[in-house]
Amino acid sequence: MPRPEQTLITFSIDGREVRAPENAMLVDAAKYGDVEIPVFCYEPKLGAPVGACRMCLVDIEGIPKLQTACSTPVKDGMVVHTQTPRVKEAQEAVVEFLLVNHPLDCPVCDKGGECPLQDISFGWGGGTSRFIEPKRHFEKPLALSPLIAIDRERCILCYRCVRFSQEVSEDYQLVLHERGAATYVGTFDGHPYVAPFSGNIIELCPVGALTSRPYRFRARPWDIEGGGSVCTMCPGQCNVHFTVRDERVLRVLARDNDEVDDGWLCDRGRFAYQAIHAPERITAPMMRDGGVLREVTWDQALTAAASALGRMHGKVGALAGGGTTNEEGFLLQRLLREQLGSEDLDSTAGIAPASLHALARPDLQATVADLEFADAVLVLGTEPVDDMAIVDLRIRKGVRRRRMALAVATPRPSSLDPNAQISVRYAPGGEAAFVSALAAALFGGDVAALARDAAVQESDVRALADMLRTAGQDIVVLYGQELLRLGGDTVTAGLLKLAGGLNVSGRDGAGLLAVPRAANGRGLAEAGVLPGYGPGYARRDVESRGAPAIAEALRSGDLTALVLLDVDPVRDLDDAPRWDAALERATTVVARSRFLTEGLRDHATVVFPGESHAEAEGTVTHPDGRLQRLRPSIGRQGQTRPGWQVLSELAGRVGLDLDVLTGAMATSQLTAAVPFYAGITLESIGGRGVRWPLLDAAASFPDPGDARAAVDAIGAAATPNGALRLGTFRSIWASPEVEVSPALKFLRPIQRLEVSPADAERLGVGHGERVDVGSGPRTVGAIVHLRAAAPEGTVFLETGIGTDSANVLGGPLVEVRPRGGTPTGTADAEDAVDSESAAGTTETVASEPEAAGPEPGATDQSPESVEAQPAEAVEETPGEQAPHDADEETAS
Amino acid sequence: MAQNLIFRDIDEPGLHTLDVFRRRGGYGDRLRKALQMPREALVEELKASGLRGRGGAGFSMGMKASFMPKGSMDKYLVCNADESEPGTFKDRELMQKIPHLLIEGMIIGAYAAGATRSFIFIRGEYAQQADILEAAIEEAKAAGLVGKNILGTGFDLEMWVHRGAGAYICGEETALLDALEGKRGNPRLKPPFPANQGLYQGPTLINNVETLATTPFIVEMGGQKYAEIGVQNSTGTKLVSVSGHVKRPGNYEIELGMSSRDIIYGLAGGPDDGRSVKLWFPGGSSSPVLTGDDLDLAYDFDTLAKAGTMLGSGAIIVVDDSTSVVDVALKTAAFYKHESCGKCTPCREGTTWTVKMLQRIKAGEATPMDLDIISSVCERIIGNCLCVLGDAMAMPVGSMVKKFRGEFEEYIEARRLEAERLLLTSDSPATPLTGTESVTVPAHPAAA
Repeated sequence: MPRPEQTLITFSIDGREVRAPENAMLVDAAKYGDVEIPVFCYEPKLGAPVGACRMCLVDIEGIPKLQTACSTPVKDGMVVHTQTPRVKEAQEAVVEFLLVNHPLDCPVCDKGGECPLQDISFGWGGGTSRFIEPKRHFEKPLALSPLIAIDRERCILCYRCVRFSQEVSEDYQLVLHERGAATYVGTFDGHPYVAPFSGNIIELCPVGALTSRPYRFRARPWDIEGGGSVCTMCPGQCNVHFTVRDERVLRVLARDNDEVDDGWLCDRGRFAYQAIHAPERITAPMMRDGGVLREVTWDQALTAAASALGRMHGKVGALAGGGTTNEEGFLLQRLLREQLGSEDLDSTAGIAPASLHALARPDLQATVADLEFADAVLVLGTEPVDDMAIVDLRIRKGVRRRRMALAVATPRPSSLDPNAQISVRYAPGGEAAFVSALAAALFGGDVAALARDAAVQESDVRALADMLRTAGQDIVVLYGQELLRLGGDTVTAGLLKLAGGLNVSGRDGAGLLAVPRAANGRGLAEAGVLPGYGPGYARRDVESRGAPAIAEALRSGDLTALVLLDVDPVRDLDDAPRWDAALERATTVVARSRFLTEGLRDHATVVFPGESHAEAEGTVTHPDGRLQRLRPSIGRQGQTRPGWQVLSELAGRVGLDLDVLTGAMATSQLTAAVPFYAGITLESIGGRGVRWPLLDAAASFPDPGDARAAVDAIGAAATPNGALRLGTFRSIWASPEVEVSPALKFLRPIQRLEVSPADAERLGVGHGERVDVGSGPRTVGAIVHLRAAAPEGTVFLETGIGTDSANVLGGPLVEVRPRGGTPTGTADAEDAVDSESAAGTTETVASEPEAAGPEPGATDQSPESVEAQPAEAVEETPGEQAPHDADEETAS
Repeated sequence: MAQNLIFRDIDEPGLHTLDVFRRRGGYGDRLRKALQMPREALVEELKASGLRGRGGAGFSMGMKASFMPKGSMDKYLVCNADESEPGTFKDRELMQKIPHLLIEGMIIGAYAAGATRSFIFIRGEYAQQADILEAAIEEAKAAGLVGKNILGTGFDLEMWVHRGAGAYICGEETALLDALEGKRGNPRLKPPFPANQGLYQGPTLINNVETLATTPFIVEMGGQKYAEIGVQNSTGTKLVSVSGHVKRPGNYEIELGMSSRDIIYGLAGGPDDGRSVKLWFPGGSSSPVLTGDDLDLAYDFDTLAKAGTMLGSGAIIVVDDSTSVVDVALKTAAFYKHESCGKCTPCREGTTWTVKMLQRIKAGEATPMDLDIISSVCERIIGNCLCVLGDAMAMPVGSMVKKFRGEFEEYIEARRLEAERLLLTSDSPATPLTGTESVTVPAHPAAA
């Protein structure tokens, strides 16, 4: 849908004629005339103004009473005064009232120096107080959550935090208690405010009432420097601002970029900066020596890596992932292809590159902002809050403010279900069948058979199709790129069919938006880290291997060396045991990483330290095609070197001169090599990024041809036959950064089995019980988590976690065995219990009627927030926060 | 002079039942006549009557009804029965004794507003009246007077009673709507006004109990005829609750424009013998006070406005010369401090501050300069708040300080001397503070 158009009007403010957009709130319109009207409660990001603080009172001719400028839309010919004695008296009055109960403990307040209350008191206040009575007192400071401290005495009750919780993140946890001057902010029953986006309230608070516990007393505004960059912990690529003191990142703030993040951050992006300075971080090169990784000099490490890789000419594979920059990906593929004689490199975990190419067409591309302004959004095969957190808020905003139609089609119950008009659950493994069924329901075909294969009600598919058909012109499909891996070319064909049939191609405000697995998934693909495709999706007609084939080749000995950039296949990719075996067999594993995750610890031969996103330079590409620039805010930690330099030196030692002496040179090479990046420079990217699909160069995007030509047989979801289907998800908290950040550790996921109450009853397991979940000989331990909304016949496990990760299991079906009792008994006793309960399970399962497919209609669809889990985690690990508690004492 | 219209049959036993109410003309020709009129004609009739809102603001009811947009969206009628203004108890008697009159008035009001759903938001403390209303609605439903196709005219109206949870602020119309929606009862920013975006964002007409209960008589008599009662701009009769230092406190129905002296002395009997009226609130505790010199003012909207106060909800509270004005001011301020919702700054902080200063005056720790601060704080509250609750404290308290400044100063001086005397004659002479004493900070109840 086209964004609302703005017409300019003329109004008068303080005697000056000013042009401003019609119906802009006076506070904003005044800025066009360089007039600042002070505000506390007004924050357009939070939605409609509330007019509570009364700071913005102005005099409008023709209206007897003073009006709040935050809630008065400007009209043509309006005459506004902000400097009259009457307005000044009101402003002084409000400042005086606000300070009546404010403790004025600025010298010990974190906000001091960057505090709107200080600034406004100074600018608009009377300078003295006539209040001599005792002030209001609260116990303080209290932990609102392990991440946020609340000082209720400083609170001026502007409502911002409560509105954020109620109307932006919609976790509905923060409320106002009591009334009048006794009002205070808190959670309903005093439980910690733990939610994926809770940290935003710290930034929203216009006083020092809500402060970051990890940042408390670490710095004052005059001690710090700042630097803008981009967070590369997930594909959302939010724009951030680092607060730096003495070369250490102490805080992360949102750097508003409405086209990317709308000015919000998730808690991982906000607090996982601690991982930058964590002792677990690799800050020096390491080599395996006597089975153990030991720190060595750069020269030793580079020489060893180069000689090993040089020897293995033609037998080297490479994987890149995570926040690897475009430049690093580009240089990596040059090294492999130009010097090491290898075409075996991948950044996608095994998606057919032709699919990526076909779906990357610039005319199909929707943007993040389109998620807010579309007529309808279909969330397909992804959980935004986990996979690309920030777009979760954008979708909620569209639904709340514009009544945008939302449909969710996922195997696992989604946190967006309560906002959706239609939620459809298909079975894991039924991805291809579901997308085909949806396409068939829209454009003709055998819906019934395909729906059966996807284990979904035909009527649900048809209802979804009807909604998409009738919702309006602008449809955006937000799809998880995992679908392309799980469902193959069928999904690609189906998505292209949807895009064609719903007429989104070339349409502003409509299209497809992928959620890649890796933070820079799109950029790495475009830089050429794809099997069979060079930079800019240039086809290379040579034999090449994708990730799964690389694993096979390593196991068979066809490949003997592997280069890893920011990826640990044992943790990050499917089928961990196979990768474990592959790495074990490889003679050389050269890795660049920030943390020694399991696969690297066990198998890497040479490890180079990786840069954090506060140190890195280069570019990344947002899933909507926006190139964004990373700029270093701090010096590289320890001996860490820039990625381009490491690759360049490595290449030099194997005999290839990459001709890269600075980061900018790498960027120039990249933009010269990718035709549709032509003309983009670091300067043109600037602080806001550049979307290449909008540039003229986009015309040189190579034609992917007709991807619909070859469609494999459509796979069906496995029939449980008594066992349970396995679905997996990767939570927002599943990352090494969370594990090593002291403040976030308490959120580290512990494997849990999400299961419907009916299945749990049949299995004879209860909430909180320990179970083993297995497929064949492989099992992982998990804690049972009953979830009313979970579809029957399917269970869900987490991947991407250090222990008991679901990627150990093969699937598609698993069995669940109660572990019984506490794991304290002897091995024998435990075994006995295990075999006993296993037998019991088999029996139960055997009596289960066949075709126990999920019945989404019959299950309880009540919203069950993903936030529930971290809240429990707080209780489970109360001691984790010990290092911070000491700080609290100093405040009182 | 006293005139009976609403309370015409108030002493009739069993008036709260449908039978008796019908025998007295209820739900009869006048209701049929109203529902058979074109909607616009009914609104015109209400406008012609000059009926002004009886809840406090005194806005023309007909005008308010005419603001309701046309169209087929869901519209609502809400009856504000959250009668919480200190001194006001007229709606209580009305609902208790003639519940069907309110229901009949709501049918007429809803028809004028084009609403098909209606709510009576009654304060939680009026449990008995809520029970009576619920029973009356059941009776009316059984008789086909509430529900589908009322009196065969094709007009549908659903009606519910909603009990409030005891907050004064929920009598403010937008806070009432929030509370009715199940939210925390806080006033909303206006505009939008309820006629455009009210309950559940739909157009909503909100009226006081007495206002709605008057509409059947307007239909019965005709708007013009009704407008002949009372004086210009203050037409009709008004229920007046008289309380305080009078011999016969209670509800009286008067013709607007009657002399205040006739109400206070004539109807209510005036203060005890030997006492004189020191001050009186003409329209509930939120109206600026008048003194004994103002007793000859005519009791109508315009006259009282000209005298710097307001008719408000029609609650006259009389204070005689046995009572200190400081006590009256503190009591009034403390009420509004307690009831402030806390949403906007001037009301939340200003009411609290005023109470603290008045308490200091009572404790003998004030100087006349504090009176200047009280006046200034009150001035800084008035007109700067989100709703009128802040004004409701600042206006009467400010007026008391202004009109009884001399008495306040005498009080301050007397209390100061008293405190000094107590200090000097105390058995244990005060020892100078050493600076090492532990200071007990009173814990806030909320923090406990």
